[in-house]
Amino acid sequence: MKRLLIGIYAGITVLLMIWGFYQAIYVAPNDAMQGEIFRIFYYHVPSASVAFVFFFISLAGSIGFLAYRRNSPDRAQVADAWALAGAEVGVVFCTVVLTTGPIWGRRAWGIWWTWDPRLTTTLVLWLIYVSYLLLRRFAAGPQMQTLAAVLGIFGAMDVPIVYMSNRWWRTQHPGPVFGGSQGSGMDKTMLGAFFWNLGAWFAWGIFVLILRFVLERQQQKISAAEAQAALEA
Amino acid sequence: MDQAAILDHEFLVAAYVVVWVIQLSYLAYLGYRWRVQKKQGTGARD
Repeated sequence: MKRLLIGIYAGITVLLMIWGFYQAIYVAPNDAMQGEIFRIFYYHVPSASVAFVFFFISLAGSIGFLAYRRNSPDRAQVADAWALAGAEVGVVFCTVVLTTGPIWGRRAWGIWWTWDPRLTTTLVLWLIYVSYLLLRRFAAGPQMQTLAAVLGIFGAMDVPIVYMSNRWWRTQHPGPVFGGSQGSGMDKTMLGAFFWNLGAWFAWGIFVLILRFVLERQQQKISAAEAQAALEA
Repeated sequence: MDQAAILDHEFLVAAYVVVWVIQLSYLAYLGYRWRVQKKQGTGARD
């Protein structure tokens, strides 16, 4: 039954991805100013949205770990697995944002990179979470999870700054399409492609996030069994 | 098709390819970790 549900979810996700791609490439019209290059937006912005949400999942997991670590170790381990899964999958989506952005920028602006507030704060966000993953990979000892949780909370503080950066400081990066000033927004003919891709990337992200969470829980159980066996030996 | 449109198309293809390479590479990495862990789990039970 569990396998069937996973199969159905994976099937729906693949169909959504295909439909999103079709909408972005064949249905949405070219942008009047940017032409075909604007279609990068349909992968770039949904990826940023998924990364932000997953970093908040990591934040919730980190807070949960710190809250439960003394009186409920099992719950703390579950929270820690969510924190790690959110951070790792968030980094993957943030990497997508940091590669598709410069590809678009090279064509639209003529440069790969500029130290614009939106770009810089996004790079800082990525670096913080890469540091988090390196800490988890290479640090050892009982304090590692606690340190990682603190860093996870610290890292999530950058998410609202990234989100607000092109509202607070108007420089090179385009202004917000949704929730921006007067005149912002998208043409109705493009909205379908955007929302289908947003749904498709969230479906894909959730699939990968759950996979990573299950993997971490299994790893925790294997590590606990090995520690138990070492004690009994 | 003029030169600008060809360049736009090439950059678009590059961006979409990069996205799928990143996402599928990560999925493959998770699959690899899954296999390693399965072996590790079997070993731990022996």
